[in-house]
Amino acid sequence: MKKTRLDPITLEIQWKRLVSMVDEASAAFVRTSFSVLVREANDFAVVLTDAQGRSIAQSGLSIPSFIGTLPATVKHFLEVFPAQTLKSGDVMITNDPWMGTGHIHDVNVAMPIFHKGRLVAFAAVVSHMPDIGGRIRNAGIREIFEEGLQIPRLKLIRAGKPDQGVFDMIARNVRVPEQTLGDIWAQVAACKMLEERLRPLLRDTDLDALGTEIRRRSEAAMRKSIRAVPDGVYRARTQHDGFEEPILINCAVTVKGDRIAIDYAGSSPQVPRAVNVVPIYCFAYSAFAVKALLNPDVPNNEGSFLPITTSAPLGSIFNPRYPAASGGRGMIGHMMVPAIMMALADVLPGRAIAEGSSNSSITIAGEHKGRPYAAISFMNAGQGATRHRDGFTMLSFPSNLANTPIEVFEQMAPVRVIERAIRRGSGGAGKQRGGDGLRFEIEVATDSPMTASMIMTRFRTAPQGILGGAPGAVGGLWLNGKPINPAEHWVLGKGDRVVMETAGGGGCGKPA
Amino acid sequence: MRIRIAVDIGGTFTDGLAMLAPAGRIWVAKTLTTPRDPGKAVTTVITDLLKQVSAAGRGTKPAVTEVVHGTTLVANTLIERKGARTGLVVTRGTRDVLTIAREIRYELYDLDLEIPKPLVPVEWRIEADERHDASGGVVTPLTDAECARVAEAVGSLGVEAVAICLLHAYVNDAHERKIAAVLRKRFPGLAISTSSGIAREIREYERMSTTTANAYVQPLMAEYLERLDARVHAQAPGAPLRIMVSSGGFTSATAAAETPILLLESGPAGGVLSALNTARNAGLDRMLAFDMGGTTAKACVAVGGEPLVAHSFECARVSRFARGSGLPILIPSIDLIEIGAGGGSIAHVNELGLLNVGPESAGADPGPACYGQGGARATVTDADLVLGYLNADSFLGGEMKLRQDLALSVLQALAAPMKLDATQVAWGICDIVNENMASAARIHIAEKGHDPRGFTLVATGGAGPVHAVEVARKLQIPRVLATIAAGAGSCLGLLAAPARVDRAWSNPALVKDMDWGRVAKVYEELRADAQEELASAGAAAVGLQWWIGAEMRYAGQGHNVSVSLPWCKVTAATERALLREFERRYRQLYGHLVPNAAPQVVTWRLTGRSRVKNHSFAWGDARVSARPVLRGRRQIWLPLKRRYAPVAVYDRYSLKPGTRISGPVVLEERESTLVVPLRAEVRVLADYTVSVTIGEG
Repeated sequence: MKKTRLDPITLEIQWKRLVSMVDEASAAFVRTSFSVLVREANDFAVVLTDAQGRSIAQSGLSIPSFIGTLPATVKHFLEVFPAQTLKSGDVMITNDPWMGTGHIHDVNVAMPIFHKGRLVAFAAVVSHMPDIGGRIRNAGIREIFEEGLQIPRLKLIRAGKPDQGVFDMIARNVRVPEQTLGDIWAQVAACKMLEERLRPLLRDTDLDALGTEIRRRSEAAMRKSIRAVPDGVYRARTQHDGFEEPILINCAVTVKGDRIAIDYAGSSPQVPRAVNVVPIYCFAYSAFAVKALLNPDVPNNEGSFLPITTSAPLGSIFNPRYPAASGGRGMIGHMMVPAIMMALADVLPGRAIAEGSSNSSITIAGEHKGRPYAAISFMNAGQGATRHRDGFTMLSFPSNLANTPIEVFEQMAPVRVIERAIRRGSGGAGKQRGGDGLRFEIEVATDSPMTASMIMTRFRTAPQGILGGAPGAVGGLWLNGKPINPAEHWVLGKGDRVVMETAGGGGCGKPA
Repeated sequence: MRIRIAVDIGGTFTDGLAMLAPAGRIWVAKTLTTPRDPGKAVTTVITDLLKQVSAAGRGTKPAVTEVVHGTTLVANTLIERKGARTGLVVTRGTRDVLTIAREIRYELYDLDLEIPKPLVPVEWRIEADERHDASGGVVTPLTDAECARVAEAVGSLGVEAVAICLLHAYVNDAHERKIAAVLRKRFPGLAISTSSGIAREIREYERMSTTTANAYVQPLMAEYLERLDARVHAQAPGAPLRIMVSSGGFTSATAAAETPILLLESGPAGGVLSALNTARNAGLDRMLAFDMGGTTAKACVAVGGEPLVAHSFECARVSRFARGSGLPILIPSIDLIEIGAGGGSIAHVNELGLLNVGPESAGADPGPACYGQGGARATVTDADLVLGYLNADSFLGGEMKLRQDLALSVLQALAAPMKLDATQVAWGICDIVNENMASAARIHIAEKGHDPRGFTLVATGGAGPVHAVEVARKLQIPRVLATIAAGAGSCLGLLAAPARVDRAWSNPALVKDMDWGRVAKVYEELRADAQEELASAGAAAVGLQWWIGAEMRYAGQGHNVSVSLPWCKVTAATERALLREFERRYRQLYGHLVPNAAPQVVTWRLTGRSRVKNHSFAWGDARVSARPVLRGRRQIWLPLKRRYAPVAVYDRYSLKPGTRISGPVVLEERESTLVVPLRAEVRVLADYTVSVTIGEG
């Protein structure tokens, strides 16, 4: 193997080439995926790791949920399938929330890559499946068994030979097997494409040396940014509306030298609802907040995240015991980002953002003129202000989910969208104002009953301001003018009107 | 002597090209763009061309049969937000849609995203009490009184243009037409755009964005086109003015003034058509068109002699070419990618201590350091000069002297902190910008489901031929073609373009439930209307080619597959042909079909155009000599050898068809330089295209 000269130019070019290969494989994957969430919301990631499962390059488009997860998954695979037992053409699979990404709807596959008989890398893909069986995703689910098919760490393909038993098992447990299996095959194809693209590079590059240098530089950049933050323990406390009672999110951010440790002790215990956050997901969203605040431009790889750790006591909502349900983990997980930002608001006054709200949604389903229908629309809310700008009005954060166009929504289901409007004045007052939320009103236009389920975020607990800024307005939900409970399923009839309002973001600084 | 003239207004230069019909001899002219009065540069260029042609014909004044025009004016007006004061009429309840957009972030880690500002502020948006449902049925009728109230409100805004975009107008345009008629009667001078007339497609935000953008540029473009028509008439009496549109065809000036938003990407479309013409002449099936100018590079995949046409596009991006940071525009446009990489791209050291290039550009002012206009940061052009790829004395035919000393000093300054020397950094800049372009092209090719190794790269644009061979090598593309007059490439494309008209109609329905009678009726209407426009663009009724298109998917999927059939009378029997084509395309893209799923048509399309002819161009003045003219030998950087070596530099104009030269070699022409920095077989084809077959790497 030739020795790689890793000057700032060679490294830039080889690094770019690795990222480009991963992006090329992810473009091919998006094109062949059946999952609407993959196509419209980039709910997937493609990663190249070294032989030990340390990530070298990650696809550029993936949402924060996947930060650091695939490399961890590869390491978990190695526990069950040690390196020396792996063969060329093997593909491993799992959707275990603790091993993967925090809920079973994401299926992870990884494939070892050999060069001259030696294991040198893994290609890995994770994506949100079109369906994984079980009950339709709902926060009211109490145990993982209701959520659908659990796939432990298995070999899906052995030395090039698919394990038909595994495929049959999956096919029998999901609603539209062609689509779920189609997406799993697309994942395998993306791994193979990444391997094929990597081949020429392996001929004249020492991937280990390249990976080491990439990690070294990224880690140094992250450590340098952390050093610029004064040492100390910074705390924030926020809460989710919860179900029977609110769910507390308590975070302590310890900055010490060039390291950041985020601890969630003091948060609520795990709940018998599908909103538990397993440690890997807790890390992903925490690391996202730190990276966006301190070091947004460095491409994702293991190095940038080494200086960051997260912890929570066993049994906490941030470290739940099996068989906790976690399908709606984002409802709590998304709130970690504003919590970390609030904690750091005083020491990073130029960067920190006041609280905003993550998305709400409405799902409607039923039968109209003899045909079944189902449609979902995400609703985003106001985001928090910073010292130098107002909060964004109705923008998806920290996830990234688009709304459904009114015309598409009305094509899919017998409803009329009476209004989709900015809820003016809902953002918190401040020197810089919080962003405004949404007012969304629909009317049922069918004689047959329509079931509706609403996920409301920031329904009781307002997003707080920073540096003296006022909180934003809370969201609201009304049926024919009367407030209703979003935790229940509602059956609607012709002419019924539902109004949903999302929260406004918190302001920054005392209003003039 | 009968000639056709093409003029393309770009950001920095206005290019012109005259072609002697039918022989194909060409003359080229170039002048600086005149932003305050863009038509002035057009006049300058046409005057220059007429002078050149008449000198070549020993004083015979040529007769101009046609002027084809492309321009970046629409794009610039949107980017600079210099359009008309525009109002917007919408369905009650949707006034905020233009601000709300799709609620997503185009960059995940940037906490301070810049969100593009809507073209119409909320105070100038008026809600009308009216409503259609998704199948076009009336839910709330539009009364005469409501029309009058809306007209009153529009009148009070004092706007020059109005866009009308009502819910579900893609399936029923009655209310839009009614409001437009009332406004037209009441305010005769007002420019009016209806969403059903501009982009009859489902998705209200994107359609609204397109309609407002059209209204916003319309008063300015209508005036510009009218004046340009008069200017052209003064210089070339009787020569009709044709306008290039983004889809790769031209239309009449009148139609262009109605729907100016279609002109958005006319320049880049010209570049692709030029590359396609070259590829067709060379008998090539799979081509990657590659264009590199001062601030951006563009790449486009074409298979089977046809460019891919996309039906949504984004303009006026506010952030570093990031997808999602612009205004969505639903117009048919040649599907190409734009990369922030050009001759003016600036090199810098990033926070990781690594060398990066672009997307920031030095533009034309101050420009690269070697221009000697005060540019203090190293650019790609500075690197190209130091590497010997550009000739300091003959840049733009010698009109502009390049300063090697200034280039070296900025490269030196950049190199020192990295403990490298100027040459290493010069090569680093060049290699990195090539890698950036190759990476973007690689992903674009993957998105279209192809493998680059079977492609030929066709280079246009001023900097295109300088970088093309290395970009091809990185993509493992074995062969590069450099068109004649690559520096004026868009103009060649304008002359090679057919007349073209596109129409669309969204009406989502399952194929098995399709009301074929209704579809047939809509197609007859669309075709009659399109035929009229083609006639106004000078296309004879015979020899027109027509296609029926459909955006299809399996019901429930979020992604469409474009299907196209040669024109046929639509009947229930069309179903089979359509499904067969859908399944063929689907298999090609995804490798498999979806069992038990129901195919659906979301949007119907119609394309009509005049027949595409192959054009074979030749230099206008007899410059070709019996033997290649060697201008000298120059030290250039050979990347694979990692050292400088002296290579032959030829005058490209002197090379006649059939000439064979071995690389490494440099071929110089006035507007561009072809750099072959490795072993290669270089041949001049019959149409003066230079073909480079890469022999190492």
